Amino acid sequence: MIIFLIAILIAVFAAVVSYWNPKISAVMSVLAVLMAIPYSPFASLILAIAILNVVSLLAIRRNQIVGVDYAIIALMSLATVYSFITSNLAELLLLFVVVSTPTYLLVMIGEERLNVEIGIKYVTFMVLATVLFIIGAVTLYHAHLTQDLSLYAIGFVALLLGLALEVGIAPLHEWVPDVFESANPIAVSVIASLAKFVPFIVAYKVLMATATLAATQILLILAVISAISMFIGNIGALTAKSASRILAYSTIANMGYILATFAAITAPKEFVYYAIAGGLLQLFVNAFGKIGFFNAVKDGSSSFNAYLLSFSFIGLPPLMGFWSKLFIIYALVFSNFLWLAIILVLNSAISVPYYLRLVRLVGTGWKFSITNTVTLFCALAMLVTLVPPSWFLELVVGGFR
Amino acid sequence: MTFLAFLLIPLIVTILSPLFERRVATWISALAFILPMFSSLYGLLTMHRGEEILFTLPEPVGDFYLLYDPVSHAFGFTICLISAMVALYSLPYMSHRFEEMHANAEREFRKYWFLYNLYAVSMLWLVYSGNFLLLYIFLEISLLASFMLIYLYGYGNRQWVGILYFVWTHIAGVLALLGFLIIAFENQTLAINAIKTVGFIPWLLIFLGMVVKLPGLGPHIWLPWAHAEAPTPVSALLSPLTVGLAGYVLLRVYTIDSSFIDTYRDLIIVYALISSVYAGLSVFKQRDYKRLLAYSTVSQMGYVLIALCLGSYGLIGLVVQYMSHGFGKAILFMTAGAIIATFHGLRSLDKMRGMHEFIPTIANAALIGFMTLSGIITIGMFAEFYILVGLTRIYGFNVYLIAAVVLVFVISGLYSFYTMKSIYYGTPLKYEKPKFSKLLDVPLYVIAFFSIAFIFPPLAPALLDGLRAVLGVIP
Amino acid sequence: MIEVFLAMLLSPVLCSLPVAFAWLIDPKPEWARKLPILAVVGLFISLICALQILFSPDRLVKSDWLPEFNINFVFIIDYLSKIMGTLTALIAFLIGVYGLEYMKHDYRLGWYWFFFNLFTASMLLVVYSDNLLMLLIGWEGLGLASWGLIGHWFRDDDELSYVGEVGRKVAGQNYFWSPSTGGWRAISTIRVGDMPMFFAIAAIYFFTGTLNISEIHWEEFAKEVGSFGIFLILFLFMLGPFTKSAQLPFSEWLMTAMTGPTTVSALLHSATMVAAGTYLFMRLSWYIEPWNLHSEGIEAIYIIVLFLGLISAFYGASVALGCLERKVLLAASTMSSLGLMFASTAACAWVGKIAILVGFWYLVTHAFAKATLFLVAGHLIHETHDRFCVGGKEVAKHLKLAFIATIVATLFLSGIPPLTAYWVKSAMDGVMHSLEHHFGYLPLFLLVVTSAIYSAFLAKFLSLNFWKGKEVHIHPHGGGLMSLAYIAMASMLILLLYIYLTGEGFTKLHEFAHFVEEGFLTSSLMVGIIVLVTYLLALYKPRLESPIGKALGDRLYMPFLNDYIVPKFGWFLAKIADYGNRLIDFTCHQAIPSLFEVYSLGVRSIQSGSMERYVKIVVAVVLIVFLISAGMGVTI
Repeated sequence: MIIFLIAILIAVFAAVVSYWNPKISAVMSVLAVLMAIPYSPFASLILAIAILNVVSLLAIRRNQIVGVDYAIIALMSLATVYSFITSNLAELLLLFVVVSTPTYLLVMIGEERLNVEIGIKYVTFMVLATVLFIIGAVTLYHAHLTQDLSLYAIGFVALLLGLALEVGIAPLHEWVPDVFESANPIAVSVIASLAKFVPFIVAYKVLMATATLAATQILLILAVISAISMFIGNIGALTAKSASRILAYSTIANMGYILATFAAITAPKEFVYYAIAGGLLQLFVNAFGKIGFFNAVKDGSSSFNAYLLSFSFIGLPPLMGFWSKLFIIYALVFSNFLWLAIILVLNSAISVPYYLRLVRLVGTGWKFSITNTVTLFCALAMLVTLVPPSWFLELVVGGFR
Repeated sequence: MTFLAFLLIPLIVTILSPLFERRVATWISALAFILPMFSSLYGLLTMHRGEEILFTLPEPVGDFYLLYDPVSHAFGFTICLISAMVALYSLPYMSHRFEEMHANAEREFRKYWFLYNLYAVSMLWLVYSGNFLLLYIFLEISLLASFMLIYLYGYGNRQWVGILYFVWTHIAGVLALLGFLIIAFENQTLAINAIKTVGFIPWLLIFLGMVVKLPGLGPHIWLPWAHAEAPTPVSALLSPLTVGLAGYVLLRVYTIDSSFIDTYRDLIIVYALISSVYAGLSVFKQRDYKRLLAYSTVSQMGYVLIALCLGSYGLIGLVVQYMSHGFGKAILFMTAGAIIATFHGLRSLDKMRGMHEFIPTIANAALIGFMTLSGIITIGMFAEFYILVGLTRIYGFNVYLIAAVVLVFVISGLYSFYTMKSIYYGTPLKYEKPKFSKLLDVPLYVIAFFSIAFIFPPLAPALLDGLRAVLGVIP
Repeated sequence: MIEVFLAMLLSPVLCSLPVAFAWLIDPKPEWARKLPILAVVGLFISLICALQILFSPDRLVKSDWLPEFNINFVFIIDYLSKIMGTLTALIAFLIGVYGLEYMKHDYRLGWYWFFFNLFTASMLLVVYSDNLLMLLIGWEGLGLASWGLIGHWFRDDDELSYVGEVGRKVAGQNYFWSPSTGGWRAISTIRVGDMPMFFAIAAIYFFTGTLNISEIHWEEFAKEVGSFGIFLILFLFMLGPFTKSAQLPFSEWLMTAMTGPTTVSALLHSATMVAAGTYLFMRLSWYIEPWNLHSEGIEAIYIIVLFLGLISAFYGASVALGCLERKVLLAASTMSSLGLMFASTAACAWVGKIAILVGFWYLVTHAFAKATLFLVAGHLIHETHDRFCVGGKEVAKHLKLAFIATIVATLFLSGIPPLTAYWVKSAMDGVMHSLEHHFGYLPLFLLVVTSAIYSAFLAKFLSLNFWKGKEVHIHPHGGGLMSLAYIAMASMLILLLYIYLTGEGFTKLHEFAHFVEEGFLTSSLMVGIIVLVTYLLALYKPRLESPIGKALGDRLYMPFLNDYIVPKFGWFLAKIADYGNRLIDFTCHQAIPSLFEVYSLGVRSIQSGSMERYVKIVVAVVLIVFLISAGMGVTI
């Protein structure tokens, strides 16, 4: 705990220093993140994402909050790592807010001036999301204590809707395409990657703690919403014109996949681990993929990298995206949601055309630049699972016991 | 250990081949498949059976191991032989193709060899995979590599065709994957030697997936596009090797638990027969050589599905049919490609007549190819024989089925020789007699040699006795 | 012994490889024009081997093939195979010698000799096979080689290689056939018969566990599968011989097969291809011994074969009567003879083994005579550059040997007493006569009528080519080797006559004694006289200029079956399949993707950019979901 506080202090200090020299701020931010490594097995993966985020932020030439943004990343990643560790409701909700708020600032970053209009759009929905999420979480705990089923249902739905609004799950996805299209691609890459972890982790933890009351009907609502999200995301992307919009819809679809894992929450523990492992791995796929692609949107990329990312999103073995889907499908099969599993695999087939189109859009050729390098590393990250990720499963079992 | 070493050779070469100049890469790639070809031939001759554990994953995946038995050796041999020969053939063909695309041949060849070897080696490993998850992984890798080859070097609207191919086969793959996962749920393992039962739903999902991949009537519509528009060396792997692997998967599932086929045998065989006859009839209307061959593939894959319904004799027929179709169709696609390469993209049957006059070696190879398809003095004869014996065994004197199966075989023969007549014989059109690389025709004859050699000792008894030892005990 | 068989089967094929490769590799291999001699040497080696087998004792020679399945290479040496094998090898060798000269200047010697020798080897394999699967290899080899040889002149550019008057149309349908069509027709027709036969073989294997004809217990087998079973199996099996031997309605391919070189027709019509069908039926009957069995299924089959044979014989003879093309006339006559062989063999079900022997010896007689006639026809085509029956006395004067050979062959084949075929035909009369109890006089009547017509068209052939035909100018050049071949062939007929009359001790079966005995019956003599009369009549008046003659010459419009009905039906089905494919293609690759596009546009149309709209949607969704969950919460 102390270490985390120190790390946060360093991050804040970095933000202050940034007025003097942004480079030092970047180094200090990374340092702050490194301090968290020993505390969670997931930290190194989160760190990798954070570093990629920081590095890609370097590519924005005229950044209004240059320096501060690094610290923001550090803060968010610290919060993410901490969310793996704690199981205290108050702390979890605090982390939720801590991760959510900085993105309000990030979304407004522009090359020329702050993009306020987009900021307003984003902030409006985020506030609503936060409110719903917190109400939902608290209600769930209360319902759990009082064993009140109908209250539980309300709480569950509130949490679900808050989560949906926060990460952009259809049919509450309206802000996503607009924000992804108009905001700076690098800024969006942060929102689409690092910011997605905490809401899901918090939701996992809250639901796992209170799962005993979850009835089939309620899970059905969840499953339906996740199916809708998959379809809207994938179908919407089919005709989307710009790369950013394709990525926006792809995010909606991916969030749908991850939401599907919640359907397994009432299953026996070992299967829940599969579900969480699938969800988390899919989050990592989404994070690396989105960072890579948004960097490519900004400055192009070699088509090899773009192919790797796309194939991973489609879910082809032995890339990371395959294993995440495998775990998810497996969890769904085990928890009697075969139909959802079938919808999921069909969706992965629907997604093929637009991911390939994306490759054509962004795969313009290799240039030696920061963004290209970031994309390359993201693509290579997809190869981590050349070793079958039973290790990841073990991590999850360890982390969520 | 020795078998694993031989299987590793092409895997290593896949990674190394982009480093070499194109001629060297060609020969290295060919050699990389010829060596395991001999190892699998050795496995066939000695009726070798065994397992070799690679590593073990926790439940519900189980052991990843390599499975050696006459079935996988038979498939492996076919894959190695054809991959090696097509690799040699690729050199002149792809040189022509890159020239036609105005691409930098040296650079494109590096990509090509990587993808080609990846494609072939993934199929090879697929048939030796002893775990359904491993098998699925190689299934998807082969899809990926072949998709890239079509997407990058295909003909016509190649990107559209590539995506079409990808989507269809991906659906096939993921349906099978769902099935595998339910198997894992039921058995707590995916290792082939440890699975006890396959329930109805997983069987159905796997079956549907494989029917899309095989393909049966209905989903077959992707195949003519993909196989016709792929660059010909890729067609010569896609059609002879890849689609038939669906049959392999079904066979493996069948040997574990045949309940699904036993229950729905009548429906499936009727579907298979209709699909085969229908595709056979479609062949006659095709005016594009490669599309024609693609439809013939659909018809021939109907045999595989028919064979699946016919008990242990049928299963022997299935394996032999895979080999014979592989040999025949590889030869035929290469003849189509040779015409494309030597007559500057000539594919339309309307512009071909009496081609024997200009390219006698290719024409004669095509003859052997079609003989193999129709089972005349080639390995195809055994395929038909075992299917027919199986038919008698399962259905006795069911006149309608006998008539239908016979009709299927008759149609294959008819379209084969009809095509021979309309392409290679008749009054020759006005073309120049071309000069072309030996690599465009010699590999065809190597395959043709095996196609004929497999009806005589020592190859025939080695293959068939071995298959009997594995499959003969199944009711 | 197995080595002898291997040498016999492999030597023709291997010896033809040099010339085949020469033509494959070098486009203009003038240097290789002597290589065919090697191919003929290969045929000669086969002949030597066949002779050695002829004089060795009856036995089975086995070698492993698929021992686990009880399928092995089994060669049988018995009465039928010994004689048939020798006949095949001898005729093939003689025709090979003839071919050396006949095909001297051909543009495709490699192809010709390879398939010619493959043809011979396949036939020998069929002849000596006891194993049905091994037999099938030879059987398919015959089909393939005949396809290759019939379509030998694949360029379709030589009028001499066509069948029918080029350019002629009947009812809008082309009434002439090119070599590539001929080849296609042959293989496609044969395919229709071979596959049912293949099924029958598989079924026999499944039920009896063996494929060796001589080892199958037919009686038990018939009992096991029941009447219908055995009927079905034998019927499907017989479809193979029916198509190969061009029985109705599969006869058309044999007529258009005349597009091949004449040597091929000679071989095809005498001792290989078409004879294979009848030979196989004889071999089967020899071991089935239907006269000892009481199975309705088997009897039904023999009835079918008997009448199909007789009707085909009658049809073939009638058609030959109207034909004006040398080779097509002979082809139709072959069909007729094959019908007689089938009929006679089928009669064994009631008469016993002797009927098979009658059919068999008729086959032998016919083989030599027909080969002679074809070789003469080939020589005539060479000299006159015309495939129709033309030639007056001048031809006879210039081609004396051909003239003599034709006289010998026609006289000896038509059944004029006391020449060779008379004795066999007499025995055949006797066989048909003894069917009286079962079928009345119908078989005998058909046989006699057929015989009469048969001798008439043979006389017509002689007359139109050497006596009363249109005068043509010919330039005899060379032809020594060709004449030698057909004279040798014709002299075989005389040798055969000698054997019939004196060879009683040769086979220990006394069949020749039986032939002679039958020949001396009054009734046989009467038939002989009828035959002689029609022969003389036709010799004097060889043309049948009437609508009937025209219809017969057009083969009673049977070609419409192959040229119109079957293709129309086939193309109709193919068209349906094509439309089906288009529909599926449209649905899967146009309609459904478009549908997805429409949905996609719908999904994207939400994105108007208006904040107010988004908030409305979000609030609405939130409220609805809350309502639903509240409802659920209550019901829970």
